[in-house]
Amino acid sequence: MRDRYAGAMIMVVIAAVAVSVVISASGTPTSAEAPSKTPWGDPDLQGIWTDESDTPLQRSPRYATQEFFTEAQRAELDKLRSAMIGRDRRSERGSEADVAGAYNAVFTPLKRTGARTSRIVDPPNGRLPSLTPEAQKIAAAEREFRVALLQSTETCKNKEAACNGGKYDPTPSPRFAELPPRYNTARMNRHDGPEDGTPPDRCLTGGLPEFGGISFRRVVQTPGGISIFYDVGQGQGWQRNIVMDGSPHLPASIRQWYGDSRGHWEGDTLVIDVTNFSPKTDFQGARENLHLVERWTRTGPTSLAYEVTIEDPTMWTRPWTARQEFTRQSDQENRIYYEPRCIEGNFGLPGLLHGRRTEEFAFAEGRAPDPRTRDSIKGVEFEQDPLQ
Amino acid sequence: MRGRFLRSTIMVAVAAVAVSAVISVSMTQTSGQAQSTRPARVEGKPNFSGIWQANNEANWDLQAHAARPAAVTQQGVYPYDYARVPAAPVLALGAAGAVPGSLGVVQGDGQIPYKPEALLIKQQNAEHWIDRDPELKCYLPGVPRAMYMPYPFQITQSTNKIHIAYEFSNTARTIHLDKVAGPPDDTWMGHSVGRWDGDTLVVDVTNFNDRSWFDRAGNFHSDALHLVERFTLRSPDVIWYEVTIEDPNVFTRPWSIAMPLYRRAEPNMQLLEFRCNEFAEEFMYGNLRKQPLVKHWEGDTMIVDITRKVPPGDLFYQWYGK
Repeated sequence: MRDRYAGAMIMVVIAAVAVSVVISASGTPTSAEAPSKTPWGDPDLQGIWTDESDTPLQRSPRYATQEFFTEAQRAELDKLRSAMIGRDRRSERGSEADVAGAYNAVFTPLKRTGARTSRIVDPPNGRLPSLTPEAQKIAAAEREFRVALLQSTETCKNKEAACNGGKYDPTPSPRFAELPPRYNTARMNRHDGPEDGTPPDRCLTGGLPEFGGISFRRVVQTPGGISIFYDVGQGQGWQRNIVMDGSPHLPASIRQWYGDSRGHWEGDTLVIDVTNFSPKTDFQGARENLHLVERWTRTGPTSLAYEVTIEDPTMWTRPWTARQEFTRQSDQENRIYYEPRCIEGNFGLPGLLHGRRTEEFAFAEGRAPDPRTRDSIKGVEFEQDPLQ
Repeated sequence: MRGRFLRSTIMVAVAAVAVSAVISVSMTQTSGQAQSTRPARVEGKPNFSGIWQANNEANWDLQAHAARPAAVTQQGVYPYDYARVPAAPVLALGAAGAVPGSLGVVQGDGQIPYKPEALLIKQQNAEHWIDRDPELKCYLPGVPRAMYMPYPFQITQSTNKIHIAYEFSNTARTIHLDKVAGPPDDTWMGHSVGRWDGDTLVVDVTNFNDRSWFDRAGNFHSDALHLVERFTLRSPDVIWYEVTIEDPNVFTRPWSIAMPLYRRAEPNMQLLEFRCNEFAEEFMYGNLRKQPLVKHWEGDTMIVDITRKVPPGDLFYQWYGK
């Protein structure tokens, strides 16, 4: 029990608070109709919105410059992917992997294949632009550190993918005593304190841009004001109050998890400029230099397009743009998802830390192996989604 | 409980249908860029949109009280209650840890009508404030407490929804002016259904859990809590906020609180983040670190040794001489 405790708890907290959005059977959007307006004449973006189909961020290279799937491709992908649903990915009952891998199909639902082959619409190949040399260096340092913490575990002994770039050495790495190369936002095989956890483990899930998956957003408007409330699943969510008065961004000294959002209308499109991100946030490796220009446009009675241009000259060699289509959801069927609560029930994080301390104590007394020789962050091996 | 709820949702549906389509074009006369574009009314109803904050001592204690040295105290030199000194964990805060006095916000005789057994729990809550108050752990504050914590909140008023974003802990609350049934599970922030009584917004709040508190003095409720809030604009920058509190498990009769909420009139006012669960990590999980930052843990108990090193020249009599 004690042995599997640490590995299991991280999954348990997430599973315990996991939610999925109830998707109502809404009609097909009729994009020909004029976008609706609020009584005071602004474009009406209000309601609960989510993505009803799956679109990968990056386009699989096999689709090259094909922006949209054909109907036949979508049908084929849906067939392949629906065969995956219901698979119980848990391995041998009672094993460590069984308990640690408590995520099964219930927690990883698949939706129908979307129309687009990628969320990325620019560059035209649907792929992320290349990283700057500086960003490559940081990514390599991060990976090296994380692999070092796995070198004395089964994962490296068995040459599993998580150990790529490293090699097995039965002696735990001296790097266990080091700080990560920069503020930690990813999982690592060390649990010295809360900061060794991921932001979701700490109920600090961020951030922007937010494309969907298992999330939804509620937009409420008033004359001269817009509030967006996000629930991103796993008990986590946040709010944005878009400043619409034309004033400049916050001073650079003020850094926030969700940045600083300044909006204005361009015709029927809400354009939001977002800066002032905290160095504790991480989007695809981008941190405090992330700059977003979001464009929210109502495209039909039940549809909304979200397009965002993402820029960080320290990270990518060029800006890139991603697009996601959202569909309006029923208030009634989603009525329980207004209250993200995570820290209120986060037994996982203290459980994880307590588990490691217990293992260290047992090791010190010669009753158990060195916990550094065990991979406590081993996830479940998911089947490859053919959409990716 | 359920019967009352059904009735209120029916009334809301009727109110929503009856909403007038008149848009007022009159503007408020107060200063500030954002305010200059805010109409006084939305769809014929008073416009509560904007950033507001209570300016009182209710979050310390809803009831009338004299100033106290700290939220938690210990016996000082004298054995008298009026001569206690701050308890060790807050001692180093000096006068900044003290509790300001207040005439209280409880209406009528100023008493909270606890059942005898519940009053005992309230008193124990106050004694164990550090371990029990959900605010210290950055838990969702509940209603009405979120309305008078010392943090601003922003109201975004539309025609069928009124959204409230609280700075504290990223807390959200949606007041439904249209018909949305309550959630199947109880909640920290309740299920809010609003209707208009003339120019007063009346909000019925149900579906609470029993976890949130009313203040730092240990005032509490059960999951039978039912609130009726009334929001009335007294002037463009002042809301009169009244709440009737009913909870037959804890109180012998309904009681109420009332207070003004003030507009944050700074021209550049905006909500910033106060993502406090990060700030509470050391408090909650510090004992589980491999190398604790607080050096004296006995199991789950934090032993607070106070070592206040005064840098040379900053002793209080030297400071005066500077």
